Amino acid sequence: MIQLTNIEKYYASKGVKNYVLRLVTTTINQGEFVSVMGPSGAGKSTLLNIIGMLEEPTYGNYHFMGEDVTSLNERKRIELYRNHIGFVFQAYHLIDEMTVYENIEAPLLYKKVGSAERASRIADLLDRFNIVAKKDLFPNQLSGGQQQLVGIARALAAQPSIILADEPTGNLQSAQAEEIMSLFKKLNEEEGITIIQVTHSEKNAQYGNRILHIADGLIKEDIKIQA
Amino acid sequence: MFRLNLKIALRNLWKNKVYATINIVGLALGLTAFVLMILYINHEESYDKWSPDLKNVYQIREKHDFFTPDNKEHWNEVSNSRIANLIRTKLPQAVAVTKVDNDWSFGSGYSVKTDNADPVMVNKIKDSDSSFFKVFDYQFVQGSADQALENKNTIVLKEDLALKLFGTTRALGKTIKIIRWRDDKGDLFTVTGIVSEPKTPQSVHFSAIMRTGNKDRDPDEPTNNNYCLMFTKLNKASDTLVLNQTLQKLYVDFRKNLLKGQEEDYEDMQKPKKLPGLKVIPLATVHSNPPYTLSWFEKLKPVMAISAFLLLVSIINFINLATAQSVQRAKEVGVKKVLGSYKSQLTAQFLVESGLQSLISLFLCIVLIEMVLPAFNQQFNVALSFWHNARLLVLIAQLVGLFVFVTLLAGLYPAWVLSNYNPVAVLKGNYENGLRGVVLRNVLVVFQFVISVTFIISIGVMEMQSRFMSSKDLGFERGNLINIKTNYEDNFAERLKKIPGVQYVATTTQVLGNSFNVPEEIKYKGKPIKLNTVTVTMDALPALGVKVLQGRIFSREYKSDTVNTVVLNEAAANLFGKNLIGQTYQKTDWEGKDNIFQVVGIIKNYHNEGFDKAVLPTVYKVTRLGGTSNTNNLLVRFNTAQHKEIISKIEKEWRMLYPNFPIEYNSLDDAFSKVLEENRRFMNMIVLFSLVSVSLSLLGLFALSTFVAKRKTKEIAVRKVLGASNIQIVSLLNKSFLILVVVANLVSWPVAYIIIKKWLEGFAYRIEVPFIPFAAATLISVIIAILTVSIQARKAAVTDPVNALKYE
Repeated sequence: MIQLTNIEKYYASKGVKNYVLRLVTTTINQGEFVSVMGPSGAGKSTLLNIIGMLEEPTYGNYHFMGEDVTSLNERKRIELYRNHIGFVFQAYHLIDEMTVYENIEAPLLYKKVGSAERASRIADLLDRFNIVAKKDLFPNQLSGGQQQLVGIARALAAQPSIILADEPTGNLQSAQAEEIMSLFKKLNEEEGITIIQVTHSEKNAQYGNRILHIADGLIKEDIKIQA
Repeated sequence: MFRLNLKIALRNLWKNKVYATINIVGLALGLTAFVLMILYINHEESYDKWSPDLKNVYQIREKHDFFTPDNKEHWNEVSNSRIANLIRTKLPQAVAVTKVDNDWSFGSGYSVKTDNADPVMVNKIKDSDSSFFKVFDYQFVQGSADQALENKNTIVLKEDLALKLFGTTRALGKTIKIIRWRDDKGDLFTVTGIVSEPKTPQSVHFSAIMRTGNKDRDPDEPTNNNYCLMFTKLNKASDTLVLNQTLQKLYVDFRKNLLKGQEEDYEDMQKPKKLPGLKVIPLATVHSNPPYTLSWFEKLKPVMAISAFLLLVSIINFINLATAQSVQRAKEVGVKKVLGSYKSQLTAQFLVESGLQSLISLFLCIVLIEMVLPAFNQQFNVALSFWHNARLLVLIAQLVGLFVFVTLLAGLYPAWVLSNYNPVAVLKGNYENGLRGVVLRNVLVVFQFVISVTFIISIGVMEMQSRFMSSKDLGFERGNLINIKTNYEDNFAERLKKIPGVQYVATTTQVLGNSFNVPEEIKYKGKPIKLNTVTVTMDALPALGVKVLQGRIFSREYKSDTVNTVVLNEAAANLFGKNLIGQTYQKTDWEGKDNIFQVVGIIKNYHNEGFDKAVLPTVYKVTRLGGTSNTNNLLVRFNTAQHKEIISKIEKEWRMLYPNFPIEYNSLDDAFSKVLEENRRFMNMIVLFSLVSVSLSLLGLFALSTFVAKRKTKEIAVRKVLGASNIQIVSLLNKSFLILVVVANLVSWPVAYIIIKKWLEGFAYRIEVPFIPFAAATLISVIIAILTVSIQARKAAVTDPVNALKYE
């Protein structure tokens, strides 16, 4: 599903190349739950952003579902990730001026989903995450865990085949963190959604079935976890 | 999508109430000045456009020096009445030619009597000939254009006047009596038509058109001329360039013919470089091409520039505030991009937001206009209306255009900045591109302050000049003096003199409010001198209270005063030379006879027109020698300040003598305030613009200081942690802005100096450019700038540094 070949990312400053990623080559298949781990500044988030098409690699090839992402124009690329990828952030990044309902609805609007279909999908998600009662509240009226639930619901609304999560539990207390991680596991196992998460926590990494260790822009270890 | 964007836009406006208000109010202010200007321009543009038929109508203009303000040749609206016949007979394209009275500045109207009612003064009853309504296409409510003025002593009324006189517009066949001057016996006129008021204003504005028959013929004596307005309707719209060449030829022949057999022949006439001239101009351009004065467009140009500039400034302020605020919206942009929004969708969203704000501003602007229009109309003596506009559709189209223009101009840049945010950077909490555009913003603030400071300086100087004018020695005593609109008649004058409290009764052709210049050339010791002649009665100079510099003024004790003596004013005496008293000069009259005049006195110049005009070199005479002139001035000087009783006695005398004509008079105090009025109007307008300009620049400064305070949040926090006090922080922020304001002041001093010097040069009597307004403007601008910046600076200074630093 995702094929990275010799991905490099560097920033040139004063003639010196500062590498963030070097020669990253890996394949991630449909249905995997991958945790990317490593120290601060190792390039985890950059890798995730490249997979999510928010950043472009300086060098290398990236094939997503058989398409060469690096050769696509901006519009095509947006189309591709809007249809297949859901993002979840550490700081939730809900839009403050929108209600819970509207936040979940937003990606569907960009995807031009019909209004009846929109309503039923949102109702379904609200129901599944037990936040029906909160649908008219604004993000700042919710707890962190609840906000992240909305964040995940928003990511799922577009029915993506893959979810990219950048430290999804970094701002949460452990009980809430566990709840979110179980949710990811459930989504992965029951609905076959591919999940790639960046995490610092060994415990969270154990929810998945594969761990990529990154340091200084290189993949140091690629471990499969047996359930 | 659109609905959601609109919803978010509204929520955002609500969340940032203060900024939104500043944005909207600022824009509304700029728009108001601009839309007022549009209204005014529309009004001026709409002159003489009430019927498509008017495209073929042309005004005839002749080049001559009769009754021109400076006694020099100009293209005039009033032309020799004989030209009408010339065009009628010699120009085949002319379908119809009509002559009509001009608006003379003296005499406010005619007295009109219907049956047994009291006489009423009606303005703008104009004498014309049978062709008037064949040239001008008016809508007849009653009667018809073809027959209305077919006979003499007929009159066509506008609906308004018909209602005023008869209470109905069904007045066909009724008769009215028109008394044109005080002891006119009056003529009876039959109403033969009622026309409705056209939708647009008219250059030839009338309340009624009558046909006395005077306009049907020309004077018999070739040297006697009647001057009046003339219009012709051609069979098709024509090229005036070709037409005017034909006319010029016709005219030269006509002049030669007319003067044939006269002592002064055509060649002589050309000697003092006087070129004859005749031309026509399309009616549509008449209003925009007034003779001797600047057209409304020329007059308005600086004001238009200012109002366009104010609008631009308000838009740029809007942009400034929007981009300064954009940091808050960065996250939203980032998230939306991650969710799969195209850049164009985001741009559209932000355009919707600025569109919403400019729409609200536009509504606010309309409300403001509704509020200020009455005052505006009164100030500028116009009748503008927003809703009852003759061309409301055009106006609405203009406003829609303005809305789109403002929205795009104000919205595109912020939308572009916002939609260009890189989502990865933004979502990491790192949006440090605030430095962009700071230079531009600084330049803009300086620019705004240059304008504001220049305005403030101008107001100061104008105030000082108007004080100078209102307290200037006029050269005569304006108190206790009234001017009755009538000529001097012994019977009436004698009756007035008997009223206790009346000191002098006299007439002159030169007095503040109604001056009539009769140019003449005299010879003094062989040297030709051009003078302005004023005919006075014996008491006129003492009645005015002029100051005698040398010799004496007229008195009954001297028999010679009714024979050949004259008094000069200072300006005239300066042209003659020294030791004038007792000297004589000659003047050749039109019959070629030499008359000798003796100078008996010199008086101080006294003002008889606005301060923009220098007092003309003038000779005053009582004698009829060399011809006299006469205008409707009857000066009555009181020796007490208790006017009311005396005036009611004067009115009583008047009613007894002239029952058919209402009395009209004004005090010289009023005439004086009228002279100052135009200047006061101009000043009020400048004050208005300054208010808008100053508030806009304060808004701009506020925006910039907000922006800078935000950008420096971290710096301020670090400084506070390091131990800076609140005052130190406030002054830190103030310092950078003070530099801008000081720079603006340095720029505006020379600019203001040049403008003000030029303005003052428009006055023949003026102050030197004073220093105080410059210093005051600088002080004021610095103080208000500090106050404005401190609002933001204080806010930034008192915030808890921990909050600011936590982000990093």
